[in-house]
Amino acid sequence: MRKAIMLLALAGIGVMLIYAVGEMPPMGDSGNPDKTHVAPRYLEHGEEEAGASNVVTAVRLNYRGYDTMGEVAVIFCALCAVVAVLGREKTGLSRTHMDVSRVKASVVVRTTVRFLVPVIIFFAIYIILHGEETPGGGFQGGAIIGASIILFTLAFGLPESTRKIPLKSRVPLESFAVIAFLAAGFTGILFGANFLTYIMPGLSEHAAETIRQVMMMVIEIGIGFAGGIIFTSIMFAMIREDKYELQPDSS
Amino acid sequence: MNFSRIAHNLNYVFSVVLFLLGLYTIAVKPNLVKKIMGLNIMETSVFLFMVSIGMVGSGNAPVVTEGVKPATMVNPIPQALILTGIVVAVSTTAVALSLCIRIHEHYDSLNAFEILGRDELF
Amino acid sequence: MSFSSHYSILLVAVPLAFAALCPIVGMWKRELCFPFSVAGAAAACFFIFSLWGKVISKGVVSYTPGGWKPPLGIQIRIDYVGLFMASIIGAVGLAVLVYSWRYVSRELDAEKIPYYYTLYMLLFASMLGFVVTGDIFNMFVFMEIFSISSYALVAITGQRRAVRAAFKYLLMGATSSVMVLLGIAFLYSTVGSLNMEDIAGRLAMGGYTSVASIALVLFLIGFAVKAALFPVHIWLPDAHSIAPSPISAVLSALVIKMGVLGILRIFFTVYTPGFAGIEGTWTALLQAIAWCAAISIVLASIMAIIQRDFKVMIAYSSIAHIGYILLGICMLTDKGLTGGLYNILAHALGKGCFFLVAGIIIYKHDLRRITSLRGLGRSMPVTAGAFAVASLSIVGLPPSAGFIAKWYILWGCLQKQHYVFMVMVLLGSLLSAIYCFRVVYYMFFVGSHSAEIDEGPATMIVPAASFAAATLFFGIFATLVLPSLSSAAQALLAG
Repeated sequence: MRKAIMLLALAGIGVMLIYAVGEMPPMGDSGNPDKTHVAPRYLEHGEEEAGASNVVTAVRLNYRGYDTMGEVAVIFCALCAVVAVLGREKTGLSRTHMDVSRVKASVVVRTTVRFLVPVIIFFAIYIILHGEETPGGGFQGGAIIGASIILFTLAFGLPESTRKIPLKSRVPLESFAVIAFLAAGFTGILFGANFLTYIMPGLSEHAAETIRQVMMMVIEIGIGFAGGIIFTSIMFAMIREDKYELQPDSS
Repeated sequence: MNFSRIAHNLNYVFSVVLFLLGLYTIAVKPNLVKKIMGLNIMETSVFLFMVSIGMVGSGNAPVVTEGVKPATMVNPIPQALILTGIVVAVSTTAVALSLCIRIHEHYDSLNAFEILGRDELF
Repeated sequence: MSFSSHYSILLVAVPLAFAALCPIVGMWKRELCFPFSVAGAAAACFFIFSLWGKVISKGVVSYTPGGWKPPLGIQIRIDYVGLFMASIIGAVGLAVLVYSWRYVSRELDAEKIPYYYTLYMLLFASMLGFVVTGDIFNMFVFMEIFSISSYALVAITGQRRAVRAAFKYLLMGATSSVMVLLGIAFLYSTVGSLNMEDIAGRLAMGGYTSVASIALVLFLIGFAVKAALFPVHIWLPDAHSIAPSPISAVLSALVIKMGVLGILRIFFTVYTPGFAGIEGTWTALLQAIAWCAAISIVLASIMAIIQRDFKVMIAYSSIAHIGYILLGICMLTDKGLTGGLYNILAHALGKGCFFLVAGIIIYKHDLRRITSLRGLGRSMPVTAGAFAVASLSIVGLPPSAGFIAKWYILWGCLQKQHYVFMVMVLLGSLLSAIYCFRVVYYMFFVGSHSAEIDEGPATMIVPAASFAAATLFFGIFATLVLPSLSSAAQALLAG
């Protein structure tokens, strides 16, 4: 019964949406409304106005920087939510299979991971820093950093990786992205321009250009590292469980 | 209904199908993790839709390079938007999964009907 | 440029900054989190209330982060409705924050307390961001922040029912967010812009009207879930009754109003009234909302009467009041809109007071059943008195703010000659009198077990009592707010 009503409702929504698809502008046509209004301006002047030859980055950091600030706040919020629901991990205590089982990950796996993780982090840094010219950017790099730490945790266990990245250094880093954004915003206000303006008025062209590059770089790095650390912390909080008997670290 | 346009806008059609699939999973499947999967499918369908909006036939990536005219580049705005959308989706999924962990601790089950049967509300 | 021209962004950015710094402060000294977040909320209140002069003189205050002109960048657009909502958020948010200090320090684990304040400040900042923005995608982003933080705040105690209610809330809330995102995508594919006023201009040029009207349907479904309108209200009674009481107060007083504001923004700013091409869909959908709202008034009031749990009863009453607000708005007359907007204020104060009173009772005596509240009028006179005063406003009796709101809503119905809706509003008021005064009866007129005065802590009593006093204040001095609300209504109707 419930299923039948649901299917009926879904069919209704489906017909409505498919009908809308039939009325939409043809896909891939360069004369569509979305490509004739704001987008050409971005594509033509994005590089000199916003200071990034990757126009997606220009839109993300500069034209719609306020959105990206909100986006950074969203993952920060998700971290706080996960920690508030689950609680922080306790140092040296966990219930992952890897930590509890008597058989540790084999030497081959550990050695490979030990070699791979720095390389992956290096690649992530490249992605973060090169986001202005090629596809890439803060979040993508941050996700890769997070993945590399997850890989490390899988091989060595939670106690080892929480020892490598202790809570004390993680907490300030987690809010670093939001703070970097707000700091850039307030700098604009201090110089008498609007919030989140990168070109400061009253400076020579060269100095203003340098300041803009530095600020965008700081924001990208902030997003990247904070993103990576936030993903890591979320995973640590999820691994930690206190209902079952806690296993002290045996190594 | 404009069937020739529907046949042309195939990406849109598939994203609608994915959307409905996700909605069906959320509404009907009793397993909570499957519901979260359904949510993710729904979100992904919207991302597919948004990226397809910005597409230009045989276009280029929106990176300013020598010899590529801006008119042949794809629209960068949907790409920037779905980047935000992906982060939002990841965040929602993280919160949903952590709630799932807690629910499993309390009820020893992830089946919605079993959980509902476990305690009737007040 | 003077510093005061930045107030419209600072009211979002400053509480956000305090939220981001809160975990660091909490790591250093946990007790400092509370004064720190109060400072952030108070600063935001200062910025909000300083903006009134400018909005009254200019009508709309616009601000562009990054200095990009509106279709290019994001615009912050503060109009009467936005600033009215922001003022309610600021005042109620600050008072509930003060209230939650004692409540939280007893009910939560010590390690969760910094995250409670962080999430609270994120909720506060993002609601402010939501009401002042003039860009639909930016609205979506802030909507997600307040949604995620409210899911977490419902579940923060980690009790089984709380977690289950939060999960239900999350599933419905996230689905509705995806609906809104799809609506934005549909709209973007047909107009190529994200700025609300720009979209309105582009839509008026015509073309692709059927896609735009289907986008309108998607927006409506999405925001109706956030507002807990009748067929999609099922998450609300669980989530609002099980959350910690200060959070119930914020969710009921503020967060569901964000759904109403979303509907207002979409229906009146993006799709302006009397628009060629999609006018039929627009009117039909508003009619549908009006009927759903009217049904929710009656149905939720009946549901509230049959509840035995105090907080569940209050939660059902919230659904009824969302009904009044939306019904007033859907009348599409300036009186009806004024009444709907005034009820946002009246309900925020009255329902905030209800949940805070429930919180004090739970804090002191751990009582949840209505029948167990007997005699509290003698042992907790201020708390019970605050409840009695606030219930005047919830029922809609003079001289309270709720009376003014219902008066204007009825006036709006009368202007459009919707007698059925008038009957339903009156019936809802009658039913709400039953469920409110039943509690008052148990508190004051049934024998008590102890006659000694045993009140809750002052930081909890004062916010609750000041909400109750404010319902009377805005009932007697309604002329302080009504002129700006009627200009808000006229601005909305003019598009």
